[in-house]
Amino acid sequence: MPCIDMSTQKILAALLAASVCMGVGGCHSVESWDNDMYGNFDALWTALDEHYCFFESKDVDWEETGRRYRAGIDPEWDYHQFFDHCSAMLAELKDGHTNLVSWFDVSYYRKWWSDYPQNFNLRIIQENYLGFDYHSGGGMIYKLLEDRKVGYMRYSSFAAGFGESFVDDMLYSMREADGLVIDVRDNGGGDMTNVEKLVAHFINEPVLAGYISHKTGPGHNDFSEPYPFTYEPAVKHVRWLKPVVVLTNRSTFSAANTFVSVMKYLPHVVIAGATTGGGCGMPFSSEIPCGWSVRFSSCPVYDAEMNLTEHGVEPTKGAEVEMDPEAEARGEDTMLEFAIALLNSAAEDDSESRSVIWEQ
Amino acid sequence: MRRILCSLAAALALTLGAQTVERPVLSSYTVEAGSAHLVETYLSPLKYSGWGTALGYERMQAMRFDPDRWTMQLRGRLGLQGTRNPARNATMWDVDLELAWGMMRRFRLPEGFTIMAGGSTGVDAGVFYNARNSNNPAAAKAAWTVRALGAAVWNGRVGRLPLCLRYQAELPLAGMFFSPEYGELYYEIYLGNHKGLLRGAWPGNYFRLNNLLTCDLRLGRTNLRVGYRFDVLSTKASRIVTRRIGHYFVFGIANEWISLGARNTLSEKTRIINALY
Repeated sequence: MPCIDMSTQKILAALLAASVCMGVGGCHSVESWDNDMYGNFDALWTALDEHYCFFESKDVDWEETGRRYRAGIDPEWDYHQFFDHCSAMLAELKDGHTNLVSWFDVSYYRKWWSDYPQNFNLRIIQENYLGFDYHSGGGMIYKLLEDRKVGYMRYSSFAAGFGESFVDDMLYSMREADGLVIDVRDNGGGDMTNVEKLVAHFINEPVLAGYISHKTGPGHNDFSEPYPFTYEPAVKHVRWLKPVVVLTNRSTFSAANTFVSVMKYLPHVVIAGATTGGGCGMPFSSEIPCGWSVRFSSCPVYDAEMNLTEHGVEPTKGAEVEMDPEAEARGEDTMLEFAIALLNSAAEDDSESRSVIWEQ
Repeated sequence: MRRILCSLAAALALTLGAQTVERPVLSSYTVEAGSAHLVETYLSPLKYSGWGTALGYERMQAMRFDPDRWTMQLRGRLGLQGTRNPARNATMWDVDLELAWGMMRRFRLPEGFTIMAGGSTGVDAGVFYNARNSNNPAAAKAAWTVRALGAAVWNGRVGRLPLCLRYQAELPLAGMFFSPEYGELYYEIYLGNHKGLLRGAWPGNYFRLNNLLTCDLRLGRTNLRVGYRFDVLSTKASRIVTRRIGHYFVFGIANEWISLGARNTLSEKTRIINALY
């Protein structure tokens, strides 16, 4: 019977030991933090320091902010107090996309919309304009306002998916209207691919939608060359080329903000209402040792003219309009009235080549 | 030159029917289970730990052109890792598929020992997934590498039971692998920015050491395979570190089989050259 002699045993043992050592030694190092108050604070601060994208544009001195808040930590705090302290540090970024998420609370910077008039009352629209009789689906409600000769559609969240055939049917059913109101007031954003899907029904040729960039390293100015991206028209679907008014308010945020920034450059579109809420930094997530997760703006999206829309998209010149509280009390939406009047007058001025196209 | 002539002479002798050679295929099907440790800094800076499991297939056969000296190995492995963060309130999954083909030169030593050395090439594809993340929930993995492959084999008996002990190690030396840039979202890739996604791989930025220790208990027609796998993957590209360390117990069966056609049958002159045993 063959048996292993001592020298062979040693060689095999050495080979095995070398493999294990190579395995462990070959790993790339990863920064780690203690799971105590300071360790968690440092992990949180570092995640933002290395990945957050608006330090320069918001003129935030993150080093100083970190020093100040770290010095303010009291090791005797309970986790609620520590959470509030960390949330206060994140609030200094004034960013609606930045949240600290724990099992008992989610931090949220609200001033980007709470300091502004709401400019939206859904009940008035449902009751006085739609008569509680409208179509709905895919996060949208719509109706042809026959007596006013306009179509009205409201998209409440870009997180709600919709089918192309639904949009086809909706737009085609309103083809006789002078124009279309797209109401994205109070639309807090959602999925960017839904922006592309919806815009595709309002263009007849590829359009430059904007530019996107990303961090290439942990430095505050380590950004990639902005990459231009285009949207293609919805071929073989309904394409609405008649006048459009997009209604906005301060709570039009994130993906909805991007939708407005793209629509603004289309020749048959007017943005009416108030400046949007911004939120043009696509968020990224990370976490800290105690298990809290953190979300923050990471990849800036610019509009087609390379403007950063983090602070919002302004309405088209001459189309700034707010909700009149007195009219609102009477059940009138002055922003919607403005949009309808704009579409009616546009129809009187120019009714030549605008159309609704449906290639089947 | 002399070696080539010898090989040609051997091939000619076989063709003339002096002695036929059969090269049994050694197929094994294995199940692996153990522990896994994951790091994927694109998804989280924290180290995740949990369980790992895999299904594996391996096929070995002496090679036609020089069956005494060369053996080929074909492998497929589908792995699944389920891990938790240190606070145990988030889960990171990793699923990966590996396909590899290699060939090794055999050096027969006394006392039933064989040393095998050669190379292999293979593709790995998979994804790390962390459901709690918003726009960066997943990190796709894909690599094609050329690897050094080696094994030490001992065929012998313990009591009356024949067995085959094998230690095999595989180390990628060069290749290519996929990685987004430091903070690049997959949405940007979807929009069409494919710049810089493919990286050259070398052990400094793509380190993997796949150690496998198996013992084939040759019970009869079917062999029982038990073993242990220590698999380390550590990559770094654009400051994104990916690490997967797995310790797995391996269980399975290994069978040798010969494919006989209508015209070739086993005879006393047939010489059987096994791939491993």
